[in-house]
Formats: sequence, C-alpha cells, structure tokens
Amino acid sequence: MEVEISRRKFLQGTVAMTVLGGTLATTSVFASEEKENQKNTPGIPKTVTTKTSTKKAKEVPFLCGMCVNKCAGVARVEDGIITKLNPNPYFPKSRNMLCPRGNAGIQTTYDPDRLKYPLIRIGKRGEGKFKRVSWEEAYDAILNGTKDFKGIVQILDEEKDNRSTIGYCNGEGLSKEGFEDLMGKKIGTPNYVDEVSICLETAGGGFFATLGVYPEIDFEHADYMIILGANRAEAIITPDTMDMFKHTKGRGLKTVCIDPRFTNTAAKADKWLPVNPGTDLAYILAMTYVIFSENLQNEEFMKKHGVGYEEYKQHILSKKYTPEWAEKITGIKAKDIYEMAHEFADAEHPIIYPGRRSIFSPNDYQLRRAMGILQALSGNLDKKGGYIYGNPIQLPAEYVNSPIYAQAKERFDTEGIAFPTIKSGSWIVFRNMILEGKNPYPVRAMFIRKHNPMMGVPNSAKTRKLLEKMDLNVVIDILPSDTAMFADVILPEASYLERTSPVKAYGFLEPSIVQRKAAIKPLYETKTPEVIYKELAEKLSKPLFEISKKYDKDLQEEIAKRGEEKVYKEDGYDLADAWDKSVEEKNKELVEKVYGKEAWEILDKNGVYYPHMEEYHKQLSPNDYQYYPKSKRFYSTKGDSLRVICKYDRLATKGIDAMPTWHDEWKFSVPKGKFRLITGRHAQFTQSGTTNNAMLRDLIPTNYLWINKRVAKEKGIKFGDMVEVKSEVGTVHLKAYPTEKIAPNQIFMLHGFGSESKGLELAYGNGANDAAVIKDDIEPVYGAAVMHSTNVEVRRV
Amino acid sequence: MARYGMALDYKNCINCKACEVACKEENGVLLGADKHRIWVGVKEIEGEWPLLDIASSTFMPSQCQHCEDAPCEEVCPTHATYYDENGVVRVDSNKCILCSYCMNACPYDARYVDDRTMTVDKCTFCSDTRLARGETTTACQNTCPTKVRTFGDLDDPNSEISVLLRTRDHFSLKSHLGTNPKLFYLT
Repeated sequence: MEVEISRRKFLQGTVAMTVLGGTLATTSVFASEEKENQKNTPGIPKTVTTKTSTKKAKEVPFLCGMCVNKCAGVARVEDGIITKLNPNPYFPKSRNMLCPRGNAGIQTTYDPDRLKYPLIRIGKRGEGKFKRVSWEEAYDAILNGTKDFKGIVQILDEEKDNRSTIGYCNGEGLSKEGFEDLMGKKIGTPNYVDEVSICLETAGGGFFATLGVYPEIDFEHADYMIILGANRAEAIITPDTMDMFKHTKGRGLKTVCIDPRFTNTAAKADKWLPVNPGTDLAYILAMTYVIFSENLQNEEFMKKHGVGYEEYKQHILSKKYTPEWAEKITGIKAKDIYEMAHEFADAEHPIIYPGRRSIFSPNDYQLRRAMGILQALSGNLDKKGGYIYGNPIQLPAEYVNSPIYAQAKERFDTEGIAFPTIKSGSWIVFRNMILEGKNPYPVRAMFIRKHNPMMGVPNSAKTRKLLEKMDLNVVIDILPSDTAMFADVILPEASYLERTSPVKAYGFLEPSIVQRKAAIKPLYETKTPEVIYKELAEKLSKPLFEISKKYDKDLQEEIAKRGEEKVYKEDGYDLADAWDKSVEEKNKELVEKVYGKEAWEILDKNGVYYPHMEEYHKQLSPNDYQYYPKSKRFYSTKGDSLRVICKYDRLATKGIDAMPTWHDEWKFSVPKGKFRLITGRHAQFTQSGTTNNAMLRDLIPTNYLWINKRVAKEKGIKFGDMVEVKSEVGTVHLKAYPTEKIAPNQIFMLHGFGSESKGLELAYGNGANDAAVIKDDIEPVYGAAVMHSTNVEVRRV
Repeated sequence: MARYGMALDYKNCINCKACEVACKEENGVLLGADKHRIWVGVKEIEGEWPLLDIASSTFMPSQCQHCEDAPCEEVCPTHATYYDENGVVRVDSNKCILCSYCMNACPYDARYVDDRTMTVDKCTFCSDTRLARGETTTACQNTCPTKVRTFGDLDDPNSEISVLLRTRDHFSLKSHLGTNPKLFYLT
C-alpha cells in the first residue's frame, strides 16, 4: 500500500525543522486551508515529485526561466501535468544540459504559495493583507484607486500629465522588453530601473569600451586561464560552466583561481590564490607591468589594433606597478604574480576570464578595462582559443508607435555619476535621491514586475521607505515576494512553463534563435505577461489620453489640426496597439519574414533554429553534440576593424581615468574586531526568486555565515550557532559555518535568503537577507551598486 | 538483455547536484536529505587559510554501484533484492519486509527507506522510467552540465562506455571487497 504524502504535509515537516521560532501566521489570501485544497485542483500534481510514467507524453520545447541564462529544455507533460524537464539537445548555448535549478523548475510552477489571482491591499502597506478580486477590479484599482490608495488617473491629473511621476522596474527575462514598451514607450515615463545597476553594468561597460565586446570564450582551444572574481562552478553561466570544467584539472586548461574565498571553482583549479577584496585591479596592473617590463606582449598586434597603446605602456611602467607593489595591496605574493605573468605570456591561448557577476568594488569599471587590455597584450582576441566576438545573429526589433508627451520630464538619477545610463539609470541613486528629496518632480507610483528590490538592492531599509512613500505600487509577479508585500495591487503572472515568450537570438561562436513554448496553460487565474500588458493598456488608454488632452498643449494643437480620433490612433495614444497580435503570431511572423517558412517550422518543433541546422547538428556520443562543424563556427569575425582602447579620452572629460590607474583609497582594510562582508551565488539558488523552491531548499536548507574556523573558535561560535551580523545599515541573523575557506577578517553569506514575506512558507524567516546589511555604495561611472564595501560586526546570539 | 554500467568522468563534477534533482523529478523520489538515490560526496578541505590543500577537496558523485556480487542481494531474506535481466540491482517492494539487512550490508550506503511504501529504495538506473520507455540515458547522465556520466551496456563492445573503459584508466570504489561494482571512475 502506498501512503500519499501531500505537498502540504511535506512542507509542514521541513518548515518545523528549519524555521526557528517563526510562527507562520498567514493572511486570508495566503491561508493554509486554501493550499490544502490545492491538491484536489485539476492540473496540479498531488505530490511534490512525480514519477514519470511509460505512457506517451507531450514533449514541449521551452526556455528555462529559473535564472538569466535561458537554457533550452523539453518539458514532459502527462495528462496536463509537467512531470519532468529534460535538456534540449539542439541549443548550442546550453549544451544539452539543465542545472539543478533548471530541473527544479517544476516546483516553482507548482509552488503552493504562487500568486493565484489578482489581489488588492486592504491592510497597511507592508502588512501583507490583501483581498482577492477579479482582473477587472484589479485593473480598475490601478486606474481609479480604492479608499486605501490613489489610482493612476488621480496621480497623473494632480501631476498635470507628467508621465515621469510613474517609476517602474523589471528584472531580467524574456518578457522584459514588453514591459519596457508598455511603461516607457506607451505610458511614457523615462524613470526605469532594472537589474543592470545592481548587477554587472561595469563588467559589460568596461569590456565594451575597451574591446567592443563582452566576449564569449573558446575553452575548447584555450590552454591557460586566470579566473578572478568569478565563480563559474557555482554561479553557472552557459556555455562557460560546461566548457570550462571539461578542460581543467590537468586536461588542457591550466587554471589559476583568484578569489577571497575557496569556492567550488577554486576546487577545480590548479592553484588558488586568495586576494584582498576589491584589489583585483592592482593585481592586473602588476601582471601588465611584468609583461611590459620584460617585453612579453604581442607588440605587432598591439601596434596594429591598440589605441593609446604607447601611452598605456608608459603609464604602467612609470607608475611602477610592480608585483612587489601589488603584493602589499592584494596579498598575492610577488613571485606568484611573476610566475602567472610568465605563464600567461608563454601560453598559446591564454585567457583572462572576463567574469560575470555583480559589482564588488568601486574600481570595477577600471578593473574590466585593465583585464581587457591585458588579454589583448597576448593577441589572443577574435580567434580560436581566445575571446570570441562571433556572429551576432539578428532579429529586427519590434516597432512600437510611441506617443510624445510634452509634460513628461527627463530622468534625474544622475547625482555622483559620470556617465548616467539613460535607459535603466541607477537603482540606488534613483531611490536615494527620492528619499533625500532631490527629485525635481514627485515620483508617486512604482510599477514593479519580476523584480524584488527589497532583497536585491543594497540597504533594504531605504527600499522599504521608497515603497512606503509611493501613492501606488503595482506588482506583477509569480510569488508573493518581500516587495509584493508593499503592493497596492498584485497581478499574478503565469510562470515560464505556462507561457510562450518572444523569440530570442543568441550570437557568438555558434549563433541560434530560440523560442519558449508554453508547456501547460496558465494555472489558477494567472495570465501571461503579454496578455497583462495588453489588458492593462486597454484599460488605461482612454482615461490617460483624456488627461493628456487636458494638459498637453502640443496634443491639443494636433487634435485641433487633425481631429481626435486620428491623433489617438496615428500618434500611438492607443496604448494597446502594440499588442494587437499575440506572442505566437508575432514570433511566427518575425521568423518567417527573416529566415523563411521552413525556419519557423524547425523552430516551432525543436525550440531552436539556425541556418543549416539540419545539416550541421549531429549527435557525436550519448553526451556530445555538434552544433556547428568547426569550419563553420565564427571564431574570427573582426579582422582589421578590431580595436583595443587602451586610453579612452572621453572618460577623462567626466573625471574618470582615461587609463586604468590605482588609487590608494581602494586599499583593503578592516578595523580590528570587524569583518568585511562578501556575498555570492550558489548553483542551487538564483537570488531570492528560488528560495521558496521545495526541491532546491532540499539541497541547501538555508544560507550559512562562513566565518574562519580559528576566529569562530576564539569567539565561541560552533557550526549551526545563530549569529548576528550588524552593519551601519542593518542587522540580520543566520547560522554559522566555521571554515578555513575564508580569511580571518572576512565573512560570507549566500545572497537571496532571509525573506520577510509570510506568503512564502519555505523562504520566510529562513537565513539572512544580505541586502539588509550591505551599504548602498555606488561606483562612479554608472552609479551601480558596490556589494563588497561593508564592514560588519559578528556575535553569537 | 544487457549488462548495464556507468562510467564517471568525476573530475568534471562541480557539485552542482543537477543529477540529484533530475533523479528525484524523474523517479518521484521523496525529498529529504537522507532520501536520495544519488549524491555527490564532498570532503571539507584540509589545511588552514590561506594554505589549503586543493587536492583534498574533491567531488565524488556516487550512488548504487550495481555490484555483480552484491552483498545486499546475498543477505536479503525474502529475495526482494534481485538482479534484473540487465544486471541492474533492483528491489521488489512487494517482497521487502524492511528488515534493513541490505542497508547494513551495502558498503556504499546506497539504500534508504521510502516512507510512502515503507520499503527500501535505491537507484534503478531509471529502469522503470526512462529505460522502460526505450530511452538510452539515465536522468542523471542526461542532465549533467559537465557530462560526468556515461551509461551503457558493458557487454556491447561498441557502446560508448565499453570504448571509454578500454581507452581510459579507471577504478572502482572499495574494489577490495570483491563486490565487482559496475560504476567505474575514470582517471
């Protein structure tokens, strides 16, 4: 006989074990009885894991949405239930694999804590009290408000049609552009912030400014790699992770890992060298110094492609960035730097791994520039075994008919920033300027989609204040995040397995086009993002046009000349016209137009298309596929147009060094008795979005505080002891993990834990939220968040 | 009829645990840290910061070794544990009386109790799921990001696993016990 263990019962078991002293008071909409009933809902599996059957099943190609990589998979659907996610062998980028998160995506779709129907706030902001409503009621509340909050019509009327009074944000994902179209192009506000300024902005920007590319790496032919400030074994990036570790450990790719912590990447390296946090730039400058002082560079290559090359050489040599100098700053021994510089120069295909992560130090932009130049000194660019520029396969951008609002103002989040990003600004500066009253006009509403700034943007206390300050917060998401608790209106979105998404093109070495198809229909009352955009646009369109008519003189003149109906239609004021066609129709039309009917059929069937796919794609072994034969891969595409910008004069016009230069204010120091907090990722979790996933929680029950074993002993801290971590901006509690994998003056915690939303049964109160203790420091180029500048106190509690 | 085994290119393993999740989702395995069919063995690194011994930190993917002379099969009083036609060590849950002799006898600690059936469970090489549908890979092999595993028929000289074992050095776990495991770790 088989005893059925329900999802609910399982969850109760694990929560009881790991949530310390947390009482799981839930509100009416997140009530536990309601979750118990869920197991009788058609289309929802009765148990947490479902054994696949031998029946014939539907196989649907999808693109994973568990992190930003968008790997390709095939969903096995039995009787309308997804029972398994398998890798899709056609997509070059994801190399026929799904990581633990990719495999656990089922648990996100069937998470009993999902936002299931639209909600309207009835309690205080942040209290988490909501009322279930219909979609029509929810849209109406956004438009006209309720007795508890103002609607968009009133706000815009009071602000005389200044569309910029509405702020919005969105995390990375396939339907992000549509939200940008709705809020930015159609409703017409420039005040947009996203994940870029709390993520890798300086890495992308620095490499782009220097080499014209944020490159892919050809690990298959590379023979030496220095990987610093990147943890590819745990922060999985495709295809880097899969390609890299097939060649490490004496199998062709000699690897030096430079990281303050001993990570899983360090475990796969030949050598690990701990570096003082934030001093990687000094190390790279010293590497560059050795190359120049011993004349080991590819002089011919640099003479041909370098811009400001001679000046850079003189700069490095005259500043005397010697390994002995760098040793004092970085903690890396001079002899190790000499050895690495010689190994780098001697290798045929050496790689300074460009990395991809959030910004750790204020000099990150210059670090990326210096890394790019050092790589170029080897000449190993745009060729086999080197940095790959590749072929950017193209899909034309969709045209959106955007109205021009005379009353809308420019964005203002520029304080302390040399080169403000017009599109997505700076999260921290945007938030802090509003809190400090430095905004030239009021920002009164936030539209938040697939983004959890309460846990992603450093200094959560300030984010809370921002959200509390708004007249209207609208959240579109799949789970009741910490941020959703501050919403006035919540619109529940379909998870990635329940929706077909806009097609996406990937370039580089083996370019392709991919499409995510819905494996199942949206569960409960959720809707796909594009349907939400369309319906919201339809609801807002006419009333918002009326406000523009009232305040916008340009519009009044146009109407006088051409008539209201014509202007409304022709000038883009019909907000919903961007969604006249469904995603499915748009995808088909776009791909057929560019690549033909046959291409569309291949894409729709396999989830992947690239020119000559049927000829090129071959299974080589049970594990390996050929996507493109080597002779057809895009190893070298730049030729003479390749440029290496060693000296970038435009930077100097805004007070930024034109050439990477070390400043002693960046030296690493921690007052006695304190610790530097460092943060990072793990293969089993992607930020706060996955901490309520039952399967992933099973692998890592919580985030622990890494603290040096000997220091922990002195402080009487043992494994599992609860400790308090206190910075100048906040205090958190989590369990200790004493280990020798970290320096005595540093501590580490995984990002994404410590949710305070009671709607998330597994994530609530579990571990610590690093954003609550990390200071809101910015770097000077883009105003992007710096994550590793916070000193903290640690004590057992 | 086949003689199934698995070769593990264990140096590729990054301890991401994709295999463990794929196994649980494919085979409907219970959650819970001690309820798993496969796992990655990790040893805490030796040495003191900053002088750590990289070689002491290895990731060792493991599971039932599908021994040809399986101690678990020998000790089972009800013949619940048996070799199926492909040499896969299986458990017939209808015959299992949960005496747990097999759990004690297994030198690889590869067995656990399934709380739903109250019988002993373990890796089946996906025999009743993927292989039963005619697929040729196990869930763990198929999903692995760095392609650690190769599953196949040891009796077929042309199978990928046979070629790997002919051309590369390999070892078995606790080979001195004479259990003749069919998991092979490639060096």
